[in-house]
Amino acid sequence: MKKKFAYYDTGHEFPEEIVMAAGFTPYKILGDVHVSTDPADRYVQNYICPFSRSCLTEGMAHSQEWAGIAFCHGCDTTNNQYDIWKYHVKTDFLYWINTPAKNDKISRKFHSHELRRFKEHLEKKYDVEITDDKLKEAIKKSNKIKSLMRQLAALRSVKDITNEEYFLAARKCVQMDKDELINDLEKTFQEWKGRPAFPKNMVPVLVTGSDITYPEAMQIFESAGLRVVRDDLSLGERYFAQTIPEGGDPIEALTIYNSRIPQPPTKIPFHVRLDYLRQCLKETKVAGIVLQRLMFCEPNGLDFPFLSRELKKDGYKLIVIEREYTPTIDQQFVSRLESFRELITQ
Amino acid sequence: MLTVGIDIGSITTKIAMMDDSRLLHTDVALSGYDMDKAWRDIYARMLQSTSKKDSDVKYIVSTGYGRNIVDAAQKKITEITCHAAGAKYFYPKVKAVIDIGGQDSKFIKIDDSGSVADFVMNDKCAAGTGRFLEVMARALHVEIKDFAAMSNKATKAAVISNMCTVFAESEVISLIAKGESRENIIAGIHESIASRMMSMMNRSGVVKPIVMTGGVSKNMGMRQALEKKIGATIDVPEQAQICGAIGAAILGANSK
Repeated sequence: MKKKFAYYDTGHEFPEEIVMAAGFTPYKILGDVHVSTDPADRYVQNYICPFSRSCLTEGMAHSQEWAGIAFCHGCDTTNNQYDIWKYHVKTDFLYWINTPAKNDKISRKFHSHELRRFKEHLEKKYDVEITDDKLKEAIKKSNKIKSLMRQLAALRSVKDITNEEYFLAARKCVQMDKDELINDLEKTFQEWKGRPAFPKNMVPVLVTGSDITYPEAMQIFESAGLRVVRDDLSLGERYFAQTIPEGGDPIEALTIYNSRIPQPPTKIPFHVRLDYLRQCLKETKVAGIVLQRLMFCEPNGLDFPFLSRELKKDGYKLIVIEREYTPTIDQQFVSRLESFRELITQ
Repeated sequence: MLTVGIDIGSITTKIAMMDDSRLLHTDVALSGYDMDKAWRDIYARMLQSTSKKDSDVKYIVSTGYGRNIVDAAQKKITEITCHAAGAKYFYPKVKAVIDIGGQDSKFIKIDDSGSVADFVMNDKCAAGTGRFLEVMARALHVEIKDFAAMSNKATKAAVISNMCTVFAESEVISLIAKGESRENIIAGIHESIASRMMSMMNRSGVVKPIVMTGGVSKNMGMRQALEKKIGATIDVPEQAQICGAIGAAILGANSK
């Protein structure tokens, strides 16, 4: 079994394919909502994003099981925690990949340089050669996964696929051995195709905002009678919305790919994310939009006023809602979602 | 047709009985620890005081945070929809509802058909809710019912800058220590809640006429602070605290 190489990225910026070509299984650190963040709270104030503190707790407890750890600039909170990890997480290899906030020619050139630098560091550290052929093979594998996930995700609006089932499939993509994953997703696709039609008592919605990293958060939507048939999440459609170009220089291909993935809240300009949401809404009919934000998630907090104003102008019904980092089904949160359900179905 | 609305809130349980559009009975009781007992008791009391039988009641709708406890309810509807329906019953031209309850505050917009068009709620925090007032009343050794009269005697509202209930309580204690009058502090507390409510309302866009419901609407000082902030008068129905239960009973009649 391939050793895991962990990455900490609250967006979808990490070049999994370089790690795959180096012979590792990429493993996205997602924390564990069931485990107390007391160990991390010694180093990070508890008014900082609870998810990031959960990830640090996981890093402190499990870093020795991983070949190494790499950071990507997913959001500003995780960006600023690199030094904390350097001091408090035991690992032989901790690396920082900078990803540009802008998307222009110079930014892409910079990003390409960053990816090559990461590749060279991996080669040196682990004494491996990451050839173009190995990278191309990894890209093909990634594209196969993305294609399968797109097919699975498309079934959400026509078949009876629970929010939790979709979430678990998306989570596997970033933590499981890729060959096992392809087999698993193929089987899942066959099974989901035979499912009954979309249930009449459920209401289809699009969800965006902070990443949802544990199934209980998805169950809350289900409890309120809402089915997530489209999403704009890193642990979701952002992971598979785009295909990596398969021709030419593979590092350039990864750079181009990165410039095309749906934009998370830390990127500029704002309207790119809005345009993407509009495109999703055009493709899939939903009854409403949920802009959910994990408590203390500043990037999404800053994006929401603009997004909600523009989407409301377009005539969409939406709710802006804050949730806590807890596996407990929060009745107050459910109540607000139920009120929203009543509003969009009345 | 007799319909009943039961609104189980975090502090009080409210009940309303309607015969089509005629309000027959309302009552309020503390929710307490045993919410199931609270609604059964208030329901039994309603039957006794109206001389009706359980079988006379054709439809029950429950609402509020404890709505799922009411096993006799044919329908469970959230308090947002119910408060909108209740406010519309008293003021047919209403366009928005401010509802400040024990643990949350809401701003609900109503469209021409009487349906909820949009709503915003407070963050998961006691600031700007009835609980905030309770904590401050305790710190000031004043009964909440006296808040309105006392704030009217204020010469200048004290500035309460903390939004967090816990920190705001410390701030109030500091103001007491500095010799600030309780009247001025209470007026400051009302302004603090009104500011918070206003910023929430601005997220959705203020429309008028506005009706205020929920337990806090009984506090005239709070209502005046809100009116000053909004720059318009706010209507408060006599049965403001029971608006949710009345709305539930109305929606029950529509569901039948």
